[in-house]
Amino acid sequence: MDDASGTLGKSKVSRLVNWIVSTRVWRSIIRHGNPDNDLDRMQAVFTNFFLHIMPARVHVHTLRPTATLGLGVIALFLFFILIITGVLLMFYYVPSVDRAYNDMKDLQFVVSYGVILRNMHRWAAHGMVAAVFIHMCRVFYTGSYKPPREFNWVLGVVLWVLTMFLSFTGYLLPWDQLAFWAITVGSSIAAYPPLMGDTIRFMLLGGQEVGQGALLRFYVLHVAILPIVISMVLAVHLWRVRKDGGLARPREGAGGAHPTSAVGSGDWDTGKTYGLMALARGVTPVVGTQAPEEEVTAWPHLTFRLLVVFVATLTAVTAVSLLFDAPLEEIANPTHPPNPSKAPWYFLGLQELVSYSALVGGVIVPGLAVLGIMLIPYIDYSPEAEGVWFTSDRGRKLAWKSSLAGAVSVPILIILNAQFGLRTLWANAPQIMVDIVNPATALLIGMAIFSSTVVRRTGSRRLGAIALFSSFLGALIVLTIIGTFFRGANWVFVLPWEQTGAGH
Amino acid sequence: MSKDYGDYQLEEGGRGEAKEKESVSRRSLLSIGWIASLVSLIGPGLANIRYLFPNVLYETPTAFKLRKPAEYPPNSISFEEDRRLFVFNDRHGFRAMSAVCTHLRCTVGPFGPGKGATSRCPCHGSLFDKQGRVLSGPAPRSLDFFRLTESPDGRLQVDTQDIVSADMYFKV
Ligand code: HEM
Ligand code: FES
Repeated sequence: MDDASGTLGKSKVSRLVNWIVSTRVWRSIIRHGNPDNDLDRMQAVFTNFFLHIMPARVHVHTLRPTATLGLGVIALFLFFILIITGVLLMFYYVPSVDRAYNDMKDLQFVVSYGVILRNMHRWAAHGMVAAVFIHMCRVFYTGSYKPPREFNWVLGVVLWVLTMFLSFTGYLLPWDQLAFWAITVGSSIAAYPPLMGDTIRFMLLGGQEVGQGALLRFYVLHVAILPIVISMVLAVHLWRVRKDGGLARPREGAGGAHPTSAVGSGDWDTGKTYGLMALARGVTPVVGTQAPEEEVTAWPHLTFRLLVVFVATLTAVTAVSLLFDAPLEEIANPTHPPNPSKAPWYFLGLQELVSYSALVGGVIVPGLAVLGIMLIPYIDYSPEAEGVWFTSDRGRKLAWKSSLAGAVSVPILIILNAQFGLRTLWANAPQIMVDIVNPATALLIGMAIFSSTVVRRTGSRRLGAIALFSSFLGALIVLTIIGTFFRGANWVFVLPWEQTGAGH
Repeated sequence: MSKDYGDYQLEEGGRGEAKEKESVSRRSLLSIGWIASLVSLIGPGLANIRYLFPNVLYETPTAFKLRKPAEYPPNSISFEEDRRLFVFNDRHGFRAMSAVCTHLRCTVGPFGPGKGATSRCPCHGSLFDKQGRVLSGPAPRSLDFFRLTESPDGRLQVDTQDIVSADMYFKV
């Protein structure tokens, strides 16, 4: 490392470092030289198993905090935190109905630092559900699902659903009242699809009731199957980000994005050629689409930012875990549900819908919503302004208006249902009618009509997609708020300050 | 030149045209192989799915004994908490009604006193009358009634797999 000696000075420490770095052992592990020039910086990423999921060079747009809000990365780091804390919890937790609850109590009161690990695991799980969802919103609103990224969007939706399952299966494990009744209700929803329903529920629970069989099954799903499946889909997801040409970004001259500001000059040394490591077949950041001076080496520009996001995420999770304890109710009592009996907050929108019709609110509407979200890039494939938030000013206004419309229509429908609901007018209405005439179906039909009208009026599928997604988002947020704050004992409407039940 | 692979004569150099003697082309032999190996996965796949359905369940039995008939006061509704059912005792006789909500299986609440008493489910607010009928809320069907019999030692006995109509009474 002769070139390093000048800058490092002559202190003992730097001489020691120089010696270590030049040893045969070190050089057998790290093959590239000191990353003080672009070639070695790229090799630092390229030759490292863990880093090589990243490109050797990244576009400056990708590094702007406003481009991604770092959300995918935050979700990823929360997933890492969950794996580490979760594996540690496994050393004390036994998935048996006789022990599970006591093991949780032990973790809280007997095991050193057990309570912090448990808190971190719980809060990181809540955080991951939120981060994944907001990440999906950012990908949607920046139009980053346009070709060639359609399939990566689909993988993303799969990851979202898997994340929800991961948290749902973990929810049973403490075997307290909250856990038991949330899973009783949730697994009963699984029994509603026609024909298959009861079979699905039986397979999920490994029996007819939520008991030992269910606890063991949920445990295996939670600690083995789902994490492995998520890791695999995630690997493809991140690989696809690269293969699809890096993150979506505004086309040149499409307004915005001038390649200087956020990252500084970028020390691209034009006299050089970099060989195969920077080039690959197909759409890569380099091929034809951009000039070299718009990109910088991933090391250190991207790696440093990742480190900052990681430290921030870990700090936030730790801080929350020191301040707030994860809830643990009384031990599960299979005869007596708590009143009110509520799912975790991210399922409360669904629980609100389920409280009108389990089949429609719990199976059909969520199923269609997930399917519809998956299909977005196959319906709107216009190459309009990808990588630009809300596409245009018009898109931004439409997004606000439609989410407001979705948000407002929820309480209106709920009030209409309470006043003129089918059962209040016609007490013996057949179930099929009750399933069809309820707020969930009305919402779904309303959104479909609304967004197809937008497409017809504006001629833009992108605007139609914005209308659909935003009204869905607005409705979901308001449903969740109602389920969380405005539903009390016996699931009747209350004002938030009159809440009696346990929150979480 | 050609090599002899048992029944199949393949031309040297692979992809060439099939000779007259050849009965199966290389391409279709390979596709048959692929398809066969994929088909052979179906059986084990189904077996693994079947494996997930236990044949023996160690759950609470569906048939069990309650108290003696005389222990239920006349004109009363008793709630058997552990069994999640109501026992009605009125002038027509005894009936046993499930307290498991038909919506999503929460335990419904107690009946108040009086004639028009109702029971409300805490989970999503379904409201039931004493015939088990849904008065409001998301529950899709009435609460179940179970057949009551008398056990040899003179106690009421229920089988929750044996569902009967709401006007089926057991007389002692
Ligand atoms: C386990 C959950 C997930 C993880 C850990 C994850 C991780 C990531 C990461 C690290 C990136 C790089 C850029 C960024 O940070 O935004 C990314 C990009 C992307 N994600 Fe995800 N993601 C997840 C779920 C989703 C979901 C739910 C969707 C949408 C349905 C989605 C769709 C995409 C797409 C299309 C890209 C490329 C975006 C672009 O080109 O700008 N992902 N994801
Ligand atoms: S479980 Fe009884 S109303 Fe939903």
